[in-house]
Amino acid sequence: MERAVITWRGMGSGARRLIAVGVYAFIFGVAFGIAARNVGMAGWAATLMSATVFAGGSQFAVLELWQSPVAWGPLLIATLAVNGRHFLLGASLYPWLRSLPAWQIYLAAVLLSEPNWARAIEAQARGERDVGVLVGGGILLWVAWVAGTVAGAGFIDLSPEHFRRFGLDLVFLAFLSCMLTGLRRGRADDLAWLAAGLTALAAMAVLPPGWHILAGAVAGGVVGVVVDARR
Amino acid sequence: MHDADALLAIGAMAILTYATRAGGFLVMSMVPLSPRLEAFLRHLSGSVLVAIIFPAAVTSGPAAILAILAAVLVMHRTRNALFAMTAGIGLAALLRAWF
Repeated sequence: MERAVITWRGMGSGARRLIAVGVYAFIFGVAFGIAARNVGMAGWAATLMSATVFAGGSQFAVLELWQSPVAWGPLLIATLAVNGRHFLLGASLYPWLRSLPAWQIYLAAVLLSEPNWARAIEAQARGERDVGVLVGGGILLWVAWVAGTVAGAGFIDLSPEHFRRFGLDLVFLAFLSCMLTGLRRGRADDLAWLAAGLTALAAMAVLPPGWHILAGAVAGGVVGVVVDARR
Repeated sequence: MHDADALLAIGAMAILTYATRAGGFLVMSMVPLSPRLEAFLRHLSGSVLVAIIFPAAVTSGPAAILAILAAVLVMHRTRNALFAMTAGIGLAALLRAWF
């Protein structure tokens, strides 16, 4: 297999492919900044969190726990549960970038999130070798997310009701659905995906928040391998 | 929350979250990549998406479900993600305004 590379050109292309999603990441950043302000989190803390954690779901989740004294157990477990899915994103992408130097792989890991991962999987399926797609897309999302947080924690005011009214709560679901549609290679996928969806839905009822994604994804992966083996 | 506690909490979250990001790469770098494992990982990528989208859409109500279906349909026909997202989100906004 041809070796993976990271080029400036690839990074530019990765950023361009996520401009629309970046606009929404900015809006979500604003929402996070406002929500953080409403629970009494200082502007510097919200900004620092967005810059270093860079994972919206977990950041919103811990706002419920932002109190004194700190509930360390729930805070850390919530972070792990909501972000555990990154583990699967990384694992599924590894064959594509394994020929890169380790420092590049683990630096790129800082920027791993769904939208740029989805674009990377798409690039891999097209036979592209430039991991810059992942890095450039990630940088764009990071800048948008942090800038949004600064704006929301500082001066913009919007209510969650506005988000719902304009369907903005569905932006990331809609984007991921589009990526999924592009990933479908044939009937073999359908059975795996059916298993993933049903397992995740069932697991949501019995597992603590967040873990259903891992359960569903692993079920889908296993069913996919079995289906492949039987053909 | 006091400043020192906030700083500590954010630091802990950042480290844990990075561990979830790097962990997938790290574990895969330590196991030999067999064809079967590679097939599993290939199916994993679609399955993660389904496991995120399906339960979230089902629990977000009928407008969300129809919006996602519309996005998938438009994406299937046009292969244009921006167009498909706009169609889905627009439909959700319309449905919520009407009902």
